[in-house]
Amino acid sequence: MKVQLVGFGNIGQGFAQVLLKKTRSLRERYGIDLQVVSISDISGTAIDEKGLNLQKALATMEKTGKIIDYPGAKKISGLEAIEEVPADVVVEATPSNIETGEPGMSHMLKAFEIGKHVVTSNKGPLALSFKKLKEAASKTGVEFKYEATAGGAMPIINLARECLSGDDIIAIEGILNGTTNYILTGMHRKESPFDIVLRESQELGIAEADPSYDIDGIDTASKLVILANALMGMDVSYKDVRVKGIRRVTLEAVKLAKEEGYVIKLIGEVRNSRLEVSPRLVPVNHPLNVDGALNVAMFETDIAGEITIVGKGAGAIETNSALLSDIISIWRKRS
Amino acid sequence: MKVSLDMVLKDIPGQLVKALEPISEYGGNIISIVHLREAIKGGRVPVHITFEVKDPDRLNKIVNELEKRDIWVSKLGEVKRKEKIVVVITGHIVDTDLRDTIDRLNEIEGVMVADVALAMPDPEKESSARMEIEVSGHAKVKKALERLEEIAEEKDLFIIKSLWGGRQ
Ligand SMILES: NC(=O)c1ccc[n+]([C@@H]2O[C@H](COP(=O)([O-])OP(=O)(O)OC[C@H]3O[C@@H](n4cnc5c(N)ncnc54)[C@H](OP(=O)(O)O)[C@@H]3O)[C@@H](O)[C@H]2O)c1
Repeated sequence: MKVQLVGFGNIGQGFAQVLLKKTRSLRERYGIDLQVVSISDISGTAIDEKGLNLQKALATMEKTGKIIDYPGAKKISGLEAIEEVPADVVVEATPSNIETGEPGMSHMLKAFEIGKHVVTSNKGPLALSFKKLKEAASKTGVEFKYEATAGGAMPIINLARECLSGDDIIAIEGILNGTTNYILTGMHRKESPFDIVLRESQELGIAEADPSYDIDGIDTASKLVILANALMGMDVSYKDVRVKGIRRVTLEAVKLAKEEGYVIKLIGEVRNSRLEVSPRLVPVNHPLNVDGALNVAMFETDIAGEITIVGKGAGAIETNSALLSDIISIWRKRS
Repeated sequence: MKVSLDMVLKDIPGQLVKALEPISEYGGNIISIVHLREAIKGGRVPVHITFEVKDPDRLNKIVNELEKRDIWVSKLGEVKRKEKIVVVITGHIVDTDLRDTIDRLNEIEGVMVADVALAMPDPEKESSARMEIEVSGHAKVKKALERLEEIAEEKDLFIIKSLWGGRQ
């Protein structure tokens, strides 16, 4: 199966690393032969229809940080690569943009248009126009897989779709952002104020230099939209979510909560057609109280009752568990 | 639903059994019976019963049956379960008139602010408070939280509520 990689940052390079490690077992277990035929970033595209040397691609990034420096790479964009290079699947891993969805949106639509499956970790386009993307995929009868967008390494979409396929999902609530969980856990455990824990997590590389996407709840809201659309049959977008971030959570608030046996967590919740992201009081012994940068999601269903899943919501390698399982499921469906 | 029922029985043997039969017949679960013997008047004794019954329909049937049996029901009411909501608030809580915030919550029938713990680390900075609100009946939880959100909007306070509907 021929794969095109569009976006070669943390996730894209993690994908290459995972493939290097898994090539043999994928062949043995599933009979899949995966070849990465193109890799694009902003600088250009490396192409080899017989399969690129991933080791070399990673070494190129190590050296110069630009895929254009891969031997023979061309100055063509990701979009052009999707159009021109023959392949079965596009792995879309460019930055999430919640305002325009670009460049991911154009990449995905182009792939669907010319009959390529899409596997992605990019939330932006899905949080903006889920329905449009779904329709574009079904028009040409290709697969659209996005397990990595909502839960990172947590197989949240497959869990609901496959294992709870007979249940109706009444509500989903959870911690869908590792950075805010890390900060709030730090405030609770060390009793340090928000600013200090934030700075510390920036030094550790857990929070971005501009942390607003995480701490203002935008990331959580995007994921919530994807879950509501994908699992609860809703047709909502980012603007339908009531969002409150964690900037106004004071150390005193954390302590006052703690005295009564609560932790404060940034929770995304879909219930009664309402989507809300806000810091909430979670009883310490509640399943949603998970520590550090972990993510957690709880489904409330009509038959099973409550089901909870915990795992890493991000990480260059971990997230690739989801991308890989999406690729395998496309493979299985086709063969 | 939990029901509190006052009735008046003739002070002769067998009357209480006659009164309890319809309750158990319609699936009621008796929680307590109080015989007010000191209040016997004209050969009649007031009895207070608290019981749990599934729905208003069954309660109606019970009351009809009691009346058929010539038992006088003098008072009937639902006992609303008290629920506790805990919220944490940050913002200029004191400067924006904490008294007024509490009053406007207490104004709602069946809602009462039971406790406020306040932390003001620095008079210049925002303060934080934990508020415990007692409400009778689940429907009031939503009302109380809506009112709180309204006040928060107006006074630029930041509300941290517990998980869904104050569920513990
Ligand atoms: N990191 C995680 O743990 C994680 C987890 C779940 C989901 N995600 C999502 O996965 C996606 C990728 O994340 P990441 O951490 O890998 O981001 P990243 O490190 O910033 O990488 C983004 C990559 O996309 C490339 N790119 C940007 N614009 C492009 C364009 N127009 N055409 C082709 N390539 C373009 C960038 O190239 P240049 O470097 O040349 O600019 C870079 O290689 C994001 O949408 C993110 O939200 C990430």
